[in-house]
Amino acid sequence: MTNRLTLLARTSLTALCATSLASSALAGELNILTWEGYADPSVIAPFTAATGCEVSATYVGSNDDFAPKLAAGGGVFDIVTPSIDTTYSLIEAGFVDPIDISRVPAFNDIYEQFRTADGILKDGEVYGIPYAWGAVPFMYRKDKFDTPPTSINALWDPALKGRISLWDDKSALYVAARLNGDMNIYSLSDDELAAAEEKLIEQRPLVRKYWATAGELVDLYKSDEVWISNTWGGYQSGLLAADGIEVVEFIPDEGAEGWMDSNMIVAGTPNEECAYQFLNMAISAKGQEGVFKVNGYSSTNPVAAKEFMTDEEFSALHQDDPDYLNSLLLWENLGARLPVYTNAWNAVKSQ
Amino acid sequence: MRRALRLKRALVLSPPLLWTFLFMFVPYAILLVYSFWSQNYPTFVPDFQLGNYVLIFTDPQYFRVILRTLKIAFFVSLGAALIAYPYAYFLVFRVRTPSLRLALYMAVVAPLWVSYLLRAYTWKTILGTTGILNSFLMSTGITSEPSSVFLYNQTAMIVTLIYVFIPFMVMPIYAVLEKIPRSLKEASSDLGIGRVQTFLNVTLPLSIPGIVAGFTMTFCLTFGDFIAPFLVGGPDGQMIANVIASQFGASLNWPLGAALALIMLMIVLSIITVSERFERLGQGKFA
Repeated sequence: MTNRLTLLARTSLTALCATSLASSALAGELNILTWEGYADPSVIAPFTAATGCEVSATYVGSNDDFAPKLAAGGGVFDIVTPSIDTTYSLIEAGFVDPIDISRVPAFNDIYEQFRTADGILKDGEVYGIPYAWGAVPFMYRKDKFDTPPTSINALWDPALKGRISLWDDKSALYVAARLNGDMNIYSLSDDELAAAEEKLIEQRPLVRKYWATAGELVDLYKSDEVWISNTWGGYQSGLLAADGIEVVEFIPDEGAEGWMDSNMIVAGTPNEECAYQFLNMAISAKGQEGVFKVNGYSSTNPVAAKEFMTDEEFSALHQDDPDYLNSLLLWENLGARLPVYTNAWNAVKSQ
Repeated sequence: MRRALRLKRALVLSPPLLWTFLFMFVPYAILLVYSFWSQNYPTFVPDFQLGNYVLIFTDPQYFRVILRTLKIAFFVSLGAALIAYPYAYFLVFRVRTPSLRLALYMAVVAPLWVSYLLRAYTWKTILGTTGILNSFLMSTGITSEPSSVFLYNQTAMIVTLIYVFIPFMVMPIYAVLEKIPRSLKEASSDLGIGRVQTFLNVTLPLSIPGIVAGFTMTFCLTFGDFIAPFLVGGPDGQMIANVIASQFGASLNWPLGAALALIMLMIVLSIITVSERFERLGQGKFA
């Protein structure tokens, strides 16, 4: 499904490119490495029409996909959209260039806690333009639960054997650690990490499948394989609702992680002019409306959000409520601990 | 004169040699070099140390995954052989019309022209909880509720991989069976030997090289597969190629990935060596 979707998205983008290539002068071509939904034709087509910059998107299934793709070199990508736990690694590895903020006028409209986040700054320079944010809540099929689950331990419930799914990502360890009562999920000690690994090994026989992409999780719900899982808040539930499958998102008693994605310019891109145009478009009302309509994610630019959201939507997406964001465990860069976390997650899957 | 001949020989040989050097030797040499490097967050740095190999032999997760992969590869090859042999036998000895034989042979080989991804994906729609198999079982009254036991486990992977790789089993078996002179079977029956005995003592031994070749190919192809675990495998479906892919991807630990890839290469090479012995053994004994 995902592959089909990606292929479809790519072909349609290519088709778009081909048609506009014929009609307009070629201003440049942008290759962006991003998340499903972030390069929706509803946003890209007007952008290409206005700027003459063609856009091809490739999608990642996890934040761990960014660095390897950039490490392979080849100057393929111009823009990447990693989350706040990954941005700093890319800066440190020299994969991205600092951004000239004077060329991004709306930068100061962005929530302060985002535009001053440690993950996108180094030596006083800005490396990322915050684009969208949200939570990693859990969700369940409404028709399958008499009493709504409120705790993560629902995903360890033997009664739900074969109906459980978890994101195939190191974040599985964050989930298990919280269930163990370790709330310091981004600085787990070796013992705490081993306990989280143990917890996941215990859960594994109950798991139907670890989901790798947004499309795959949607598929798993649609084909009645999975009833409960974690999710990218707003996105998959929206896709499922469109297919008539009612799922309910919830923030469990043990809390949820929060994420924030930023657009970054890949070091040495030959398409800098188009890249800046894209960064500006992304935080404009048009760009922010796109990610809100397609993914259901919250806006990083409240000024732009006010232009297209109703008051109800504005508060439903916690745009007026900084405390909500503070209640989330916003993803953090794991630094040198990343390989240890990744290894622990691989060990679970090797069982 | 002799020099001209030598030059000619060198010219004929050089393109394949160059090819092998460029596309086999060089990449593996690079891989070997990488395997001694070390991980240094956020990427990896040149080094000379055996840590990656030590890790593979001391951390049980790698041994477990290799063992699981060998097990799955064995069952896929066995299953494919059990289905392919009777089919090839039927084609060679029972189907009299050449055009029908060709059509049936092509029926097995043609799927090779379809994308692997598509063929593997098909099995998802067949084996799923709301899939074709479950609908069939329920409509015929064999089961009353859809079962989830068909998809997202190792059996689903084995079934899918058998389907995907069976042409590589049918082709060599068909080839050897076709080459067996009919006169041998006739001689056997003239001597009053029954069909079963003829098969066990004449046909089967003579077709062993084909079985070995098919088994080896299927085994090695399965051993390196990483799509089936992703599409139809469950939480216990990770195979060695997935681990390698994740080292080159998510973990950004190319050195460890390279070391794993080389160990995988060693395993495949030893399988090929063993199977060659088997093939020769078969020929020496029966031919």
